[in-house]
Amino acid sequence: MRNIPIRILLTLSWINLYGSDHWAFQPITKPTLPLVRNKDWPMNGIDHFILAKLEKRGIPAPKPAEESVLQRRLSFDLTGLPPRGATKETSLLQQVEVLLASPHYGERWGRHWLDVARYADSNGLDENAAHANAWRYRDYVVQSFNEDKPFNQFLTEQIAGDLLPDNGNLDLRNKNLIATGFLSMGPKVLAEPDMVKLEMDIIDEQIDTLGQAFLGLTLGCARCHEHKFDPVTLEDYYALAGIFKSTTTMESLKRPTRWKENSIASPGETKLAEKHNTLVEAQNNLITAFRDKENQVLLNSGKFKKLPKKPNLHYPETIRKKLEKLLVDLKTLEESKPKLDSAMGVSDGKVTNLPVLHRGEPDLAGNVQARGFLSVLNIPNAKVPDENSSGRLELANWMASPKNPLTARVIVNRVWHWHFGKGLVPTPDNFGLLGDSPSHPELLDWLAAKFIEGGWSIKKLHRLILDSATWQMSSSAQSETVKRDPHNKFYSRAPIRRIEAEAIRDTLLLISGRIDTSLGGSTWDFENRKLVFNHTSKDSTSYNINRRSLYLPVIRNHVYDLFQLFDFPDPNIMKGNRSRTTTSQQALYLMNSSLVIETARKLAVDNAGNVSTKGIDRLYNQIFQRSAKEKEMEVGRSFMEAFTVNASPQERFQALAQCLICSNEFIFLK
Amino acid sequence: MNPENSQSLTRRQVLQSAPLGFGGLALSSILHKNSRARSPLKAQSPPLHQRAKRVIFLFMKGGPSHMDTFDYKPILQRDHGKPLPFDKPKVTFAKTGNLLASPWEFKPYGQCGHLVSELFPNVGRHVDDLCFLHSVHGTNSAHGGALLKLHTGSDNFVRPSMGSWISYGLGTENENLPSFITICPTLAHGGVQNWSAGFLPAHHQGSPIGNASITASKARVRHIQNNRWTSGQQIKQLNLIHKLNQEHRQDLNEHNPELEDRIRSFELAFRMQTTMPEAQDISGESKATRKLYGLENSVTEDFGHQCLMARRFAERGVRFIQVTHSDQDVQWDQHGNLRKGHAKKAAQVDWPIAGLLTDLKTRGLLEDTLVIWGGEFGRTPTVQGPKMDGRDHNPHGFTIWMAGGGVKGGYRHGSTDEYGYYAQEKPLHIHDFHATLLALLGIDHEQLTFRHAGRDFRLTDVHGKIASDIFA
Repeated sequence: MRNIPIRILLTLSWINLYGSDHWAFQPITKPTLPLVRNKDWPMNGIDHFILAKLEKRGIPAPKPAEESVLQRRLSFDLTGLPPRGATKETSLLQQVEVLLASPHYGERWGRHWLDVARYADSNGLDENAAHANAWRYRDYVVQSFNEDKPFNQFLTEQIAGDLLPDNGNLDLRNKNLIATGFLSMGPKVLAEPDMVKLEMDIIDEQIDTLGQAFLGLTLGCARCHEHKFDPVTLEDYYALAGIFKSTTTMESLKRPTRWKENSIASPGETKLAEKHNTLVEAQNNLITAFRDKENQVLLNSGKFKKLPKKPNLHYPETIRKKLEKLLVDLKTLEESKPKLDSAMGVSDGKVTNLPVLHRGEPDLAGNVQARGFLSVLNIPNAKVPDENSSGRLELANWMASPKNPLTARVIVNRVWHWHFGKGLVPTPDNFGLLGDSPSHPELLDWLAAKFIEGGWSIKKLHRLILDSATWQMSSSAQSETVKRDPHNKFYSRAPIRRIEAEAIRDTLLLISGRIDTSLGGSTWDFENRKLVFNHTSKDSTSYNINRRSLYLPVIRNHVYDLFQLFDFPDPNIMKGNRSRTTTSQQALYLMNSSLVIETARKLAVDNAGNVSTKGIDRLYNQIFQRSAKEKEMEVGRSFMEAFTVNASPQERFQALAQCLICSNEFIFLK
Repeated sequence: MNPENSQSLTRRQVLQSAPLGFGGLALSSILHKNSRARSPLKAQSPPLHQRAKRVIFLFMKGGPSHMDTFDYKPILQRDHGKPLPFDKPKVTFAKTGNLLASPWEFKPYGQCGHLVSELFPNVGRHVDDLCFLHSVHGTNSAHGGALLKLHTGSDNFVRPSMGSWISYGLGTENENLPSFITICPTLAHGGVQNWSAGFLPAHHQGSPIGNASITASKARVRHIQNNRWTSGQQIKQLNLIHKLNQEHRQDLNEHNPELEDRIRSFELAFRMQTTMPEAQDISGESKATRKLYGLENSVTEDFGHQCLMARRFAERGVRFIQVTHSDQDVQWDQHGNLRKGHAKKAAQVDWPIAGLLTDLKTRGLLEDTLVIWGGEFGRTPTVQGPKMDGRDHNPHGFTIWMAGGGVKGGYRHGSTDEYGYYAQEKPLHIHDFHATLLALLGIDHEQLTFRHAGRDFRLTDVHGKIASDIFA
């Protein structure tokens, strides 16, 4: 275990005293820009904070990156795709605007949020049932980013969308209902026979996820004991748990368990469905009456003492035929039932305050705890839950308050993390006492304050970051720089970044001309709630579409293999910080998978196996979005010449194309 | 590449086919079985006395009945048809009726005289090497929860699998193979979660060979084979990739471990294309060995093939090998049809397991290989099903046995009550089972931790008592 100051280990009361002093719980203030000696380097406020630290340590001011490097960095950063024909004349800022306005921006940044929301198209855990309506939440997230929805509103919709006013606007109402899918998206132990445990596990998962996602706090620990390190008490936990106990996430806790889905049908559709139901009912009544009548006829005939077990077998032929027809009509009617759209989500349930459960055991119940928030983050005048509703809206307002010291800091740090591959706080999901401290605390606060001033706009934050010398610096460093900042803690050069699983696949599809860039919607034809895997282990999910990776089904416990290999996060748990591992299975994928081999083949066909230097140059442009250097053309040519005596030009070219895809330049951004 | 090519590839051929020169060291490391390069899977020496170096876990999915196999209950036989004289658990998976005697005969085996039912006559012959844990208990009565509990220690949170923890703790003895291999695993009831590295580094993830829907003889690691290029052509490609990567890092002026690791990963991948199919290839096994594993009998062939692969991986230093009994129908889960179902399952595995034990012993591998047999839970002594021929899930007391790897042979640890419902003497929770397993491998379960989401996690959470009485 890492060193924890002994004084916080002493007693629980000590923890609270010490914990509330923790930097992340202090109000956000807007620091003034630090003074710097090199007045030419900073492009905006961010750079003052970065440069001040570099100067203090005698680290030389970083150089800007080359234009082509920046274009590639920018395009992957904002859209997850390589740059396509950006003209040299447009300035970087103009390119930023074009990319921010592209719908592919939301696909990229929405996916970041889906990591945090543990988005999945199946339940996972014990019974892997299909979330066939989860895509509606996914599309909601993408759209929210594309619209630049203020983050405080985005938060509120996901926690309490069902409780927001909609002024009778059906689209708005549906969007708000879909947003609460955030709370329902977690894995549930669907075969759990213990209903109390099942419900408390679901509540725990909701609290733990929203705590880490929005507040950067691991609240789940406090289910069983006072949080050992953060100032979160058992009472705090059960105050929050009461809010979710008063919320309906499950339609049935009894097996067969069912998660709740809210109807998002229009009143017209609902009416139609109701009308249809009355038709079905009428037909049923008709059949019952018909049977009763014919049964009576049988009894009256005197052939039977009592009604036989299957009376219809004894009806006269014509009557049997009539009954059959009635039944067929019923079946047709039932099958033509209009399908009502629904979305995973929650609604308010019975308002309940929970007793504090020691060690989380239902048998060890203590005092009843009024629903509320975290006592360490006391926000003056925050409205607390009343007896009329679950309290989710009050919770959302408390979280989204500009006075809440965590929410803005956490999201600003996430955005920074997704731009640089590392956060100002290196543990984006943990701002508690066991999280890492910020490398640039003043910069974090300055950004958080600007963010709140700017109306919680994520796109404004992007512009600020992308228009800084800090984001635009080069990844190559002078030896003096490496000596003084060996781990690049102070942003003395741009961190080398690997493109993610989705970007690898999307790029391969794009450069081989196969990508289908249509937006949104369901791509997975699977019956809702049906098991995606049963005891036969047969995989019935197909990934054989050329839509962007965002739209491939995310099957918990059996994530698509390219994703699994390249560190797609485990969709069972929220994760704001993807791992970056290097394994030989990744290499095997690039060497042997049909996706890569086929991409290389298409490139070779596309270039008609043109083994001349011109062909090589074109290939470099397709794969690396830059021209080939003299030397590279020479190396490529001699590789193709020496490849195999009897190989065709196209095969030689294909082999070369695959090498470029396997190389570090394809997968790493400078 | 085609596997014949890859096997016949000699060092000389490779040298001849590498005109661009991968560079002396890199090239030799492609061919040398043990690269000297830094590896995240490097074998680690354990802190405690190490009784076993590797594990073969024979997983009987579905929940085999302990009262019908290895845990003989005379009182249950006597009280057949009577009600259970004490309370059933508050939460059960489904309703059960009165007591159901085992329909199978038991007889004593070996020096220890342990009673084994006629379902396992061949495993019975090995009882003097088996250590029976009769008092295992878990907490979850549904398959998914129980599988996750057994494999990861948690039925409600995502945690690394025990195989991943062991790989993390001990590394591998053969850097050209994964340290954790799972043969034909089930994709249901937790699926990948049961061999996932969770928050541990990805190198410790189990490498699946096929899955339960694929017969053992056709099961492969994905993407292990290249159908486009010969290995000679691949070497040329690797040389070029290496050259491109050298160029790419030129302007960085600093050592970047991630870029270096990636170069190494291609070398290992190239070697694995040979080592993996070679380890799986049983064509060179003698007729006697094939017979020993039941490969000549259609009933035992599939599981026998899995067991034989397990031995081949064990020989090659793979740390944790799981073999899942992956019959396509409902496996050992007989809520009804117990007589027929259990007889069928047992017939599939009894001979191959006995063969594996014999083979390991003959080769001197049983000394430091721990073989584990068990399901995610046992079954109830009370009856279920319309034909009074079934048993429900029972996580409250069941039997797992171990063999080899420093455990006492012919030994019984703990017991269930006289009907077999609850663990009674020396109850061994799944956490205790994990703690004991790690101890046998020389790992202190309280010391094997990983920092994640702000705290240090363990396979055994905050629990785990070591059953040291089973140590030889």
